[in-house]
Amino acid sequence: MKGFNSVSPLKVLEKSSQKGLGSGNLGVLIARAGVGKTACLIHIAFDKIFRQEKLVHISLEEGPEKVTSYYNVIYYDLVKALNIEDESEIRLLIDRNRMILAYLRQSFETERLRTSLKNLAENLEFRPDTLIVDGIDFEKAERAFFEGFKEIAKAFDVEIWFSALSHRHITEVNERGIPHPCQALDDLFSIIIELQPGSSGVFLNLLKDHDNPAIADNGIRLDPNTFLALS
Amino acid sequence: MIDDMNKLRNIGISAHIDSGKTTLTERILFYTKRIFAIHEVKGKDGVGATMDSMELERERGITIASAATHCEWRGYRINIIDTPGHVDFTIEVERALRVMDGAILILCAVGGVQSQSITVDRQMNRYRVPRIAFINKCDRSGADPYKVVEQLRQKLNHNAVLMQIPIGLEDKFSGIVDLVSMKALYFEGDNGEKVRTGEIPAQMIEQAQAQREDLLDAASMFSDELMEAIIEDRVREDLICQAVREGTLSRRLTPVFMGSAYKNVGVQLILDGVNQYLPAPAEVENVALDLDQDEKEISLETDPELPVVALAFKLEVTPYGQLTYIRIYQGNIGKGDNLVITRTRKKLKIGRLVRMHAGQMEDLTRAYAGDIVALFGVDCQSGDTFTDGRLNYSMSSMFVPEPVISLAISPKDHKAQNNMSRALNRFVKEDPTFRSHVDQESGETIISGMGELHLDVYVERMKREFSAEVETGNPQVAYREAITRRTPFDYIHKKQTGGSGQYGRVAGFMEPSEDGAYRFVNQVKGGVIPTEFLPAVDKGFQSCLKKGQALGFPVLGMRVTVNDGQFHSVDSSERAFTQAAIGAFRQAYMKARPVILEPIMKVSVESPSEYQGSVLSSINQRRGIITSSTEDGTFTIVEAEVPLAEMFGYATVLRSLTQGKAEFTMEFSRYAKVPELISKELISSIAKRSKGEKKS
Repeated sequence: MKGFNSVSPLKVLEKSSQKGLGSGNLGVLIARAGVGKTACLIHIAFDKIFRQEKLVHISLEEGPEKVTSYYNVIYYDLVKALNIEDESEIRLLIDRNRMILAYLRQSFETERLRTSLKNLAENLEFRPDTLIVDGIDFEKAERAFFEGFKEIAKAFDVEIWFSALSHRHITEVNERGIPHPCQALDDLFSIIIELQPGSSGVFLNLLKDHDNPAIADNGIRLDPNTFLALS
Repeated sequence: MIDDMNKLRNIGISAHIDSGKTTLTERILFYTKRIFAIHEVKGKDGVGATMDSMELERERGITIASAATHCEWRGYRINIIDTPGHVDFTIEVERALRVMDGAILILCAVGGVQSQSITVDRQMNRYRVPRIAFINKCDRSGADPYKVVEQLRQKLNHNAVLMQIPIGLEDKFSGIVDLVSMKALYFEGDNGEKVRTGEIPAQMIEQAQAQREDLLDAASMFSDELMEAIIEDRVREDLICQAVREGTLSRRLTPVFMGSAYKNVGVQLILDGVNQYLPAPAEVENVALDLDQDEKEISLETDPELPVVALAFKLEVTPYGQLTYIRIYQGNIGKGDNLVITRTRKKLKIGRLVRMHAGQMEDLTRAYAGDIVALFGVDCQSGDTFTDGRLNYSMSSMFVPEPVISLAISPKDHKAQNNMSRALNRFVKEDPTFRSHVDQESGETIISGMGELHLDVYVERMKREFSAEVETGNPQVAYREAITRRTPFDYIHKKQTGGSGQYGRVAGFMEPSEDGAYRFVNQVKGGVIPTEFLPAVDKGFQSCLKKGQALGFPVLGMRVTVNDGQFHSVDSSERAFTQAAIGAFRQAYMKARPVILEPIMKVSVESPSEYQGSVLSSINQRRGIITSSTEDGTFTIVEAEVPLAEMFGYATVLRSLTQGKAEFTMEFSRYAKVPELISKELISSIAKRSKGEKKS
C-alpha cells in the first residue's frame, strides 16, 4: 500500500543487519499490558500483506471474529491516516493473503499447527511467508514449545513473530540486556524488540539483531493512537 | 411468586433419532401423572422406532409432539419444549432452542455419540443451553455407558461427570447407584413407579467410591466450599449438588445420568436432575432489541412486575383454531389483556390463555414471566414479539434479508395441490425469510429462501406434515446487476400525436452507491422541474430497477441525481415525467458499465479435525475464500466466503467427504461481482434459455 512503508513499525528493522527477520527465524515484541503489542503485530501483518506476501495469524486466545475485528479497527485507522480513497482492492488483498488459525480452549499443539499448514499448502496452495502468533503465555510456556516453533519456521520456510508480556515490577535483564520473560529464551529468537511507552509516544527499541553484537541506536517512535511510525 | 419462578424449568429433550426420546418423554409424562398408562413403542430393535413412535403419537392422540407440554415433579413445574426432529437449521429449530433454558441430552448406551448427536449438541452450544445427559438403553445387549461418557468427553468436548453408575448391565441391569447419596436405587412396581433405596451391593462399593472421588474432584472446581469440605472430610449432599449445579449452569460441567426408559429404570432420577441442576428462567440471560434505540441489545429481567415482553415461538393449527405458543420473558399477561405485536404495532386482545398438558388443555387467568403458555385465536406470525405497548422491543432483529435462492415447485397430484398451498401459507407465516409466489410468465409456483438446505427442509416438511408431494426444478440463484461508473443522462419525453400531449425533460447522472441501496437525489434548481413532478421522476427510475438491461436482473446500489430538466405548462404531467425518467435510465444504463453480482454466502463448516484438509479443498474448489480455521477440542471450524451458485449439492459432497461427521451453516453475506469468465457463461446460458423459450 502506498505510503505504508514509511509509517510501518517494521521500519525499526531497516537499519538492522539483515533488514528484517528472515525465514526460518523467530522474532518477538516484548511489552507490558496495554502498550500495544497486538496492534504492532497486526501492523507487521499488514506490512507483509501489502508486500504481496502471505500471512497466517495464529490466535491462542480469541476466536477468528475477534481477531478480524482487531484487524478491521487498525485497518480503518490506517486508511484514515494514509488518506486512502479507494480501498476495495486492498481489502481483497487482505482477504486473499491472510489466514486466521484460532485454537480455542487450550487446543494448541505444534503438531496441529504443522498439520494445518500442510493442509493449507496442499489444498489451497496457501504457503505463508510469515506467521504471527498472539496470546502465548511466555511465563508458562516451556523452552521445548518455542523449539517446536523454530522447527516449524525452518520446515515451512517462514518467519514467525510473537508477542510477550512483561511486567513493570520485574526489571531484571540477562547479561545480554534481554528482559523478562525472554531472558532464558533469547538464543531462540533472532530479533527481539521492546515496546516502551513514553510521554511523546511508544518507543520501539531493537534489543537483539540476529548475531550482530553492536546494535546501533535505531529505535523509532510510534504514534500512541495509531501505532504508526512517526518521522 | 419468586419462589414459584425458581421452581420452573423450561427444558428440551434432544436426542439421536433412535435413542428413545419418545419413550423417555412418555415415561416422564407417566411419572408426573400427565398420562395414566404406558404403551409399548413397537419395533424394539430400534430399526422402526421413529416411524413407530410417530404412529404411536398419532394413534393415541397424545400431544407428546405439541410445541410445549407442561408437567409437575416434586413441586417443580416443567415445560417440555419439543425440539423438532429434523436437525437441519431452520428458524423453527432456532426458536425452540431459544425458548428453552436447559436440556436433557439423551444418548444410547449401545450406539453412543453418533453424528446426529454431534449436530444436536452443537446447536445447543450455539444457543448456550446448559444440559444434563441421560444414557438410555442400559438394558440392551452391548450397552456400555462408560464408553459413552468417554465419547461425550472426546467427541463432544463435554466435561462429563458420572452422577450414577449402573448395577449390572444389559439383561442384568437392575438398578442404579447414586454417587451423591451413595445409595442403591431400585425401580419396582408394574411401571417402576416405586423407588426402593438400599445399600450399595458389596462388590460395587470400591468402584462407587472411586467414581464418587471423580465426581467430587470435578464438582469442587465450581465451589470453594465443597473443596474445603473435601479437605476437612465433611462433604454434604447439598454441597455436591450446589457445585454440580454451578458447573452445569456455566456449561462447564455435564452431569451424566443413566437408565433404561423402556424398562422404567432411572427416569425419576433424571427428573430430579432437571429440578436440581438445570436453570430457572431467571438464571438465564435473555436479550431483546430496543427498536427505539436502533436495535440496541437490552437485557430482560424475569420479573412479573415489569412491562410485558413475550415471544411467539410456534403456531399450531388445532381443530379449535390457531394456537400460538409464547414464552413470557418479562411481565405478566392475563385473559382480557391487550397486547401489541411489535412488527405490525397491531393491538390484540387475549381471548383465551391456556397451558397444554399431554392430553388436555388447562385454561389460565394469568401467566407470569418465565413461563410458556399458549394463546388462542391470535392473528400473528411465528417469531412475533408481543409487548403491552409500553416498550418497543423485539426478540429478534426486524431486518429480514432478501431471499437469495429460488426453486420452482409443482404438486405431484391433485390432492397435493391443495395441501401445498396450505403448507406454503403456513411456512410463510412461520418464517419471514421464506417466500412463495406464482411466476406471472411461467405460471409456476416459486419458493425462495436463504439457501438450498433451507428450501429442502420446507419441501420435506410439505411431504411429511402436509402430505403434499412436490416436484422441484433446479434451484436458481438471485443474481443482481449494478453499474460501475458515473454516467450522465439528458432525456426528453415528447409525445404530441392525438389527444393531450406529453412533455418532460430529465437531466442529471447515475452513479454507484456504496451501501447497495437506491437513492434519489434532487438537485433541481429554479423550478425547472416543478416539485410536484419529482416523485414521478423518482418512481420512473425505481420502476427500471426491477429489471436491469444487462441481463434482466434487479438493479442494486444506484444513486440517481437529477439536476436539470424542463417542463411544459400544458403538456407536462406526472406520467410524462415518469416516462422521461424511464427514457433517461435506458439512455444511460448500459453506458454506466453494468456488471452482474452474485450472492456470496458466509459458510461455516464444522468437522472432526482429521477432515480439515478435505473441507479446505472442497471450499477451494467452489471459488471460496477461506478466512479462518478454528480448532476447538477435537473439532475444526472452517469459515469461508463462497458464491451461492457454487454451493448446490454441497451437503451431499460434505457428507461423503467426512462420513457424515461434518455439518455446515450458511448465511447471506453480501453481493459481489461475478468473475468475467463466469459472467460470460451466465450470459450465454441465459441467451440459450430465452432462445429455447421463444422456440417453444
